[in-house]
Formats: sequence, structure tokens, C-alpha cells
Amino acid sequence: MGAMINIKEFKNTTLKPLHVNPLKLSQPMGATLAFLGIKNCMPLMHGAQGCASFTKVLFTRHFNDPIAIQTTAVNDITAVIDGGEKGISEAVENITKKVTPDLVGLFTTGMTETKGDDIKGATLLLKEKQKMVYVHTPDFEGGLESGWSLSVQNIITQLIAPCARVRKDKALLIPNVNLSPIEVEKLKEALELLDFEVLALPDLSDSLDGHLGVKQGALSSGGISVAQIEALGDAGVVITVGRSVKKCGELFCEKYPQSTHLHFDSLMGLEASDDFYAKLLAYMGSKSVPSVVKRWRARLQDVLLDTHFSLGKAKIIIADEPDSAYALSKALREAGGTCEAYISQRSEVQEAFTCKVVIGDLEEVEKALSAADMLITNYHGERLAHKHHKALLIRGFPNYEQVGVALRHNILYEGSCAFLCETANLLGHH
Amino acid sequence: MLNESACSHNKTKKSSCDKPKPGATSGGCAFEGAQISLFPYADAVHLVHGPDTCLGASWETRATLTSYEGENNTPLGYCTNVTTQDIIFGGDKKLADALSYIVEHKNPKAIFVYETCVTAMIGDNIDYTCKTAQDQFNIPIVAVHAPGFVGSKNLGSRLAGEAVLDALVGTREPDSIHPFGINLIGDYNVTGDMWQYKPILERIGIKIVSTLSGDGRIEAIQTAHTAKLNVIVCAKSLVTLCRKMQERYNIPYVSVSFYGKRDTSNAIRSIVNAFGDAELIAKAEAVIAEEEAKLTERLKSYHLMLKGKKAILNTGGNKSWSIASALQDIGIEVVATCVQKATEEDVAIASEYVPIVFKNPGAEQPRLIDEHKVDILLAGGRSLYTAIKKRIAFVDVNQEKKVSYGAYGGLENLAIDVCAALSNPVFKLVAKEAPWEL
Repeated sequence: MGAMINIKEFKNTTLKPLHVNPLKLSQPMGATLAFLGIKNCMPLMHGAQGCASFTKVLFTRHFNDPIAIQTTAVNDITAVIDGGEKGISEAVENITKKVTPDLVGLFTTGMTETKGDDIKGATLLLKEKQKMVYVHTPDFEGGLESGWSLSVQNIITQLIAPCARVRKDKALLIPNVNLSPIEVEKLKEALELLDFEVLALPDLSDSLDGHLGVKQGALSSGGISVAQIEALGDAGVVITVGRSVKKCGELFCEKYPQSTHLHFDSLMGLEASDDFYAKLLAYMGSKSVPSVVKRWRARLQDVLLDTHFSLGKAKIIIADEPDSAYALSKALREAGGTCEAYISQRSEVQEAFTCKVVIGDLEEVEKALSAADMLITNYHGERLAHKHHKALLIRGFPNYEQVGVALRHNILYEGSCAFLCETANLLGHH
Repeated sequence: MLNESACSHNKTKKSSCDKPKPGATSGGCAFEGAQISLFPYADAVHLVHGPDTCLGASWETRATLTSYEGENNTPLGYCTNVTTQDIIFGGDKKLADALSYIVEHKNPKAIFVYETCVTAMIGDNIDYTCKTAQDQFNIPIVAVHAPGFVGSKNLGSRLAGEAVLDALVGTREPDSIHPFGINLIGDYNVTGDMWQYKPILERIGIKIVSTLSGDGRIEAIQTAHTAKLNVIVCAKSLVTLCRKMQERYNIPYVSVSFYGKRDTSNAIRSIVNAFGDAELIAKAEAVIAEEEAKLTERLKSYHLMLKGKKAILNTGGNKSWSIASALQDIGIEVVATCVQKATEEDVAIASEYVPIVFKNPGAEQPRLIDEHKVDILLAGGRSLYTAIKKRIAFVDVNQEKKVSYGAYGGLENLAIDVCAALSNPVFKLVAKEAPWEL
């Protein structure tokens, strides 16, 4: 039975009953990216074919790279009478006819969660045939960040072998979904400079970094191998970057209590970078860093001073995933920028913001834009910035118009220099 | 549902609106097809009733241009953002509230409401909610039932066409009826393709009554029943709509393509021949001769560069032959074309234009490129790496392209792009071995 419409009643509610120009990307999309950070993996989206198709097209255009993904292609009949295992086993059979994945990452969509499919049971039935990880990622909950995080959590609980040893110099790095492939690489390098053996989970640094490869994108083209994941149990330290993946580190330490968890909400700007080195040095019981780190810190000090003239007078609106919006606002605040952040959904990181933060869509962003100088958001901001004559910095997903998205480096001392200069230059030339 | 008597494949009991295969499927779902077919109506709001995904990943992705002077709704994304709460209690109230919000803030000419997998599954009574709101707000509010799981993109386009036919066509009478009025069906005016040939048709004396849906208007499509001819432009999925309009309103239809010189001229001839008016036919021939002469002159400078070059095509359905024809018109030899996503009609037509048609690009494309010493690959963005790997030139011809390749004018754009790709040293350069590999 449909609902009667009552305009008066609706006017009294403050919540908008719809999204206009949504900021939100879905959980299954986050899961897709997480599984693309595992070598020779096939992300398998359990839903109608469109979910996987939309995801594939968006990331293909964003990264300018082939994206491996398959779908269980639920149709009007299997939507009603199959509990999931028929479509899933058929999908695995058809995938393995063509390629030999080391792992199939199986995750759900809104429709298959609404039906209530038993994906755990489906993977158990296939356990002899194909190594799989299953994740529940309905798209009517959470978003890009939580889909990525839930996948990592399930990889940790389902794949990593029990281990009693601990290696103090082995670091497990868990980046959040917003870090670019090169940022993951730079982070690994920074840790290697401190004499850690580093493994990132997921590791997009050599899978979606835009290298010219020989593969057709039938499976993920790089990343951490399944064998390396299985052997992660002896990591002495687990480093989580971004509030959305904090729980992954906590989960790891629950399973492997001998490991130390170091969490960072952000790695952008001077304070966050200082905090990174402070915590790591404390863990290592050391006081010395390589000279290149010192030099970049001094450069960032200088960049902060060079950019504070323009940034200090700027009003900047940020609309992005929560972890990214937080990191951007924190870095801009350091140079005196006035920020207002818009995020697509609730997140634990909201409490950490030092500027106004609103849960909203790009319609709300547009309303606030007239009073601002600059907009930082995804590709959809182009039309808005153009219409309102504002400076624009494109960050987040998707970014269809620009090239080199995967090569962006905006973290730690060095990357923060690049970020502040780019932002100040855009403001200056606007 | 999967039978369409106007589709030739039904004679052989094969279905081109096939069920997708789990684990071996690419391409969009029915919702995407519906969206592609109707979003170009810029004067209507397109509200997606479902979780944020379907729209969150797909809004503002197609460059379908419009001349509408009000707020252009095509690049905007409206979505009810169904959450767990709504799944438990039903999403009808949220949909009703969203409709009144849209009417209050946007004042559109109509609202299309797209059902999605989740809202179909939980059994929201979308028809009732739309009907109630339509009666209350006095604008057409059309429910489009093409949730993703019912099938492929083509099926969704077809369902969207039928929704328009049932809810909008015939609901308004025009001031006057033109003797040579046509509806353009299935051209979405991507990068302004339609604007390449629409002025030419008008110069000949043909009136465009309505379009589905390139640069379309709700008020125009409501009068579509008064056209004398339906012209399907490269869109097999909307043949159902045209067949039903023939049955209901006695409007015949022709199927044409405006890609390439020959096809554009033949398309114009098909349209005027359908009317059978001698004066109109003569006028068309004069205009065709004039346009072709202009084009030949403009293409002269590219001819040297393009002569004898070999190409392979990997595109969606009708483009498998329409772009092939366009390439041949600028002097390129088309060695093979991919018909993976084409209907049987398309495969048959493609075979007339191109010697080799293939179905499995992953396996066959690299082999064909080597065998025939192909110079250039024209395909959607996803095939770029095939070309790079083979160190041959590449042109992106899918829906995300930036310029129109349509009709006479677009052919020059195609020639420019193909020449630019062929003369670019980058494909050879990236093939160079690294110093440590020598």
C-alpha cells in the first residue's frame, strides 16, 4: 500500500527525504578496490550485473586502467528462488574457466542482502575448488570507506594463519581507501627507511598505480600476494591510517595480541607527520631519523610560511569521504585556512574535526559555495565551481577529467608540501 | 518478456535479450538502460528510488547535450537514498516525500521514478505513490519498472520506451499537425550527435515532432502520436516502442544510422522515401549532393594520411557497423569488428560492411592485430591497453568521447582524431625497451 502524501508534515522534518547530487559511493565499490590490492585476485560482486558494471566503469575512468571485476549476475528468477549458492558457484566456475585467481573476493550488494543470501555457506561449498574471502557489504549501509574496511577485516579473520612468533621489525600497513597508490608506496618507503619490512594490506601501489603492464585486466595486476597475507601473523606492529580502518588494526591485535597497534587519523600536514614519526620512534626506542626526513620537514615548515598568505585568507569547502575530508581540513587549518567539510555519511572521525562538518550532498555544498573561495571535491565539483566562479581542487572519487590521479602524493612532510603549494597556486590564479 | 516479434532473431527462437551468465558478464543492467534512454529529457527530474549506489556511481557521466533553457536536470542526480530503515518499513513514504520536495524546489515538467533492485525486492508500491503524487501535483509522474536484475541494458531501454509510450505519448494535442512530422527515437544527442543532422532534415522540410530522447522535451513526446513516421536511430532496443506505435497510432517506422557519409545520405533517403512526396525527395537529393560535395572538399587534406590504413573496431551494438561505415568513408580499411554486444540484426549488417566479425575481443583482438598488421584500434576506453600493448594507435569511440562523429560534420572530427592518433609518436615510443633490457 502506498503512503499518502502530507506536505505539511514533510516541511516539519529537517531531514531531506532524498539526495540531490549524492556524494556517497557504495560499500561494494570500496570492497572492489580492497580486493584489487591483492595479487591475482578477482573481486566478485554478488548482485545484478549493473552494480559491477557501474563500478568497473567508474574506476576504469578514474584510474585510466583496466579494472578486474566480475558479477554473479542475479536475474529476476535467481533473485527469488536462489539462496545465492547457485549463482555464486556458477560464477566461480565461469571465472576459473578463463583465469586462475589466487583469491576470489566475494561481497554482497543491497539486493542480495535484502534477499538474505548465505554467502558464507556458498564459499564453504566451494572451498575445495577456490580460495575465497566473503564480506557483507550492502549498499544501503555505510559507504566507500566502510566497504574497504569491512573487506580488510574479513581478510584478516579469514585468511591470516595463526602465529605465535613476532617480528618487531615487520610492519603491517593498513591504509584507508582514500590514499592514492603512490601514497601507499611512499608510506612503505618511509617505513623501510626506518628499517621495517613493510607489507600493505590492501596494496594498490603496484596494482592501480598506472604502470604499463602486459595484462588485460583479467585479474588484479599487482598487490600483496595471498601467501604474504597468510603469513602476516608475525607482524610486530600494525599501522592504520584513517579512522575508517582503525577497527582493522584493533581486530588484528585481538587475534595477535603480541602485536602493537599504531593508529593515525591522518598523515597530512606537519602535526600529523610529526605524530607519525614520534609514535614510530617511540615503538623502535630510537631518536634518529634519516637526514632526508629532516630536510623535508624543514621544507614543509617553509612551505607553510610561503602559503599562509593566500591560504590564511581563504574559505574552503571540502566535500569528500570522511577520512579524506578530515585529513584535508587538518592540513589546511595549519596554514590558517577556514574550512567547512561535507561528508556523505556518519563516521567516527567526525569528532576529530576542528572545523564545521556537515553530512550532506552536493546540493547542500552548492548552497554554501557562494560564501567560499575554493571547493575541494570530486569531478562533480567541476560544474559547480565553474558555475559559481570558484577555485577547484579535485580530490576523491571519481575523478574523470584529470590524468595522473594514481600518482598524487599528498602525505607526510614531502607530500604535504606538494598539497599546500598546489592549493595555494590554484587560489592565487583564480 | 524476452520475445519481441519485430526482432528477427525470434524466428530462430534465439533471444538477444539473453539472461546474463554469472561470472562471465560485462555491461550494464536494465536500470542503466532505462537511465540512458530517458535522462536526456532535461526538463524532467529523474528520481532513482533505491540505495545511493545505482545513481551515486553513474550520474553526470554521459555528455548528452540539451538546448533546454530552464535548469538542465540531465547532469543532476536525484536519489531517495534507501537505507536499512526503509528496507524494513518500506520506502513508499520516503518516495512520496522526495516527490513533494522535488515539486516544491525544482518545478519540473515531469518526474520519472526509476525502480531499482532493492525497491523492487521489498515490494514498494511505486505505481500507487506516483499516481497519487501525479493527481496531487498535476504533472506527469512516470514509474519506470526496470530494476537491474530483470536483465541487460538493452532490455532496460526497451522498458523505459514502453513506460513513456504508456504514460506520456498521446496525452497532449499539438496546435498543428505537420505533413512531414517525424519522431527521432533512440538518439540521445551524446556530444551533440543529433545536432549534426537535425538542421539538415529541417532544411529539407521535415519537422521533428519529438525525440526519445536527445535534446528531448516532455511536452513534445506527449504529442509523438501525431507524427507521420518514427525514425529509429541506431537503437534496436526501442523497436518495441515503434512497433506498438504502429499498432496503436498507425505510424510506420524506419531504422537508420547517421554515421558516415553513405549511411547519412541513405538515412535521409529512407526518411523522405517513406513519405513518398516527389518534391520532398527532390529537395533531399539536392541537399545531399550539396552536403556530400562540401564534405569531400573538407576531407581532402586528410586523405593522404588515411589511405591504406587498417583498423579494428571494438564497440557496442550498432556502432560495430555504423562506425565501420564512417571509417570506410574516410578511406580506412576496416579489417574486423567486434559484435560481442550486438543484436542479430547488427551482426548481419556488420557482416555486410566488414569482412571479419568476432565475438571474443580478449582472445581475438590481439591475434587479428598481428595477423593483419593493423594500424589503429577504435574502441571504448577499456580497450586502450590492448592497443598500447600492441603498440598501435588508439581512438576512443565510446559514450565518453568528447566530440561528435555523427553525420557529415562529425566525419571530419573522426578524421582529425584518427589522423592525430596515427601520427602520434607515443605508441612507438612506449614500445622502446629500457636501457637495462637491451
